[in-house]
Amino acid sequence: MATNNDRVAADEFRRAALLANPELSRFNPLPRILAYDQFETGTHGWTELIGNHDGYSNLDTVDDHMRDFRPPQLSSCTFFDVGTHGAMSGNYALKVATRPIAGHTGVAIRRLTMSGRGLVQFETYFTYKAEAGSAENQVWEQAGAGEWDGNIHPSEQQFGAFTVATDICDPGGLRYHCVARYQNTDLNNEFTRRWIYPVVPEPTPREHLEGKAKLSYTDDFTAPDPADWRTFGEPQAFCYNEVPTKVNWHYLRWQIDTSLRRNVELQVNDQIFDMRDIPVPPYAETYDSLDNLLNFYVSTRTHSNVRNFLYLDSVLISVDW
Amino acid sequence: MRQSHAAVVERYTVLRGDFATEPHEAGWAGEARWFVHVLDASSPTARLNLHGQISPDGLNWCDIGEAQAVTGADSVVSWPVREFGQWLRVRGSTESPDDWVKVLIYLTLKS
Repeated sequence: MATNNDRVAADEFRRAALLANPELSRFNPLPRILAYDQFETGTHGWTELIGNHDGYSNLDTVDDHMRDFRPPQLSSCTFFDVGTHGAMSGNYALKVATRPIAGHTGVAIRRLTMSGRGLVQFETYFTYKAEAGSAENQVWEQAGAGEWDGNIHPSEQQFGAFTVATDICDPGGLRYHCVARYQNTDLNNEFTRRWIYPVVPEPTPREHLEGKAKLSYTDDFTAPDPADWRTFGEPQAFCYNEVPTKVNWHYLRWQIDTSLRRNVELQVNDQIFDMRDIPVPPYAETYDSLDNLLNFYVSTRTHSNVRNFLYLDSVLISVDW
Repeated sequence: MRQSHAAVVERYTVLRGDFATEPHEAGWAGEARWFVHVLDASSPTARLNLHGQISPDGLNWCDIGEAQAVTGADSVVSWPVREFGQWLRVRGSTESPDDWVKVLIYLTLKS
């Protein structure tokens, strides 16, 4: 029978093994690592989210607001001014890109299931950018563009928001989403730089089929009514690094508890947000075919007619079960 | 084992007049192939003209390879692209501005 000293020794050994591994030492994983993704070797299961379709494979039956979330790309973070910037771990990062249409959202999703209940942690090194200007895209004519003052670049105000979220379903069909969104600018393209969460569950294809929800192409699929979002914590500024072509990687660690169906906390660089009291509204109706669903998605949403990009250098998903 | 990736670049998109697909970054890939599937069209003679494009930065583009075309519904055209550098997209237009086509466009990539 393991003694307390044995457990302490095992924990110290595990910690030492993690610290000795240059790929893992920058993370703080829970005891079991479910997934470790770096993007030198493909997209690692991160794929485009799409709404559901009928039995005839007719994609006209996909909801308008869930049919164009764009394929994720393996990006070397290459820009017009410096060429290849490269990622943090190697040359490639996962890039989620929007179209240059205000309200458009790019979404990549990773699909797992749960073999237990308890703490689940999502960690990533990320960065975000709005597209640099060109003769073709004319971003300087678009909403959010301002004067270049030598420090703040107009493109920073043309980045809307990025989101980390889950889609989880307990056995028996109780389904819910934990969501954290960084809103860089509001819908008027003014800096807000704050964290927000939705107070309603995401509209689903079944609700559309039942006539309960019908959203348009650019509606916010996570929670379409801006009034259904609340702030948490203090505003947080990041290192956009002045121009749309310099990439600085930011650490994000988000923990949830699937035994309580709650958020726990969000760490982003040097700030930790207690999320325990943030409500996580489940769907009123149960869902079939989703037992033990454990999906993670990341999205980026532009508030201007300018492409927005979310880059993930690497992702680590760990659990305590 | 080689890496491969298939991206659905346009999904049931209705095209009229001139268009260009979204930039797709693919510097890791040694070969690429486009598949343009016309699902529906305004007439059996509606012709869609296409040309692959490449870019070093995702912002400035030039044509690569031969022009392609596809006419009418339920038709598919496919062509390869090699030695393309960093970014790929397709530009095109319906030959008549009155015509439209509904397309499914795949970009398949391989290391």
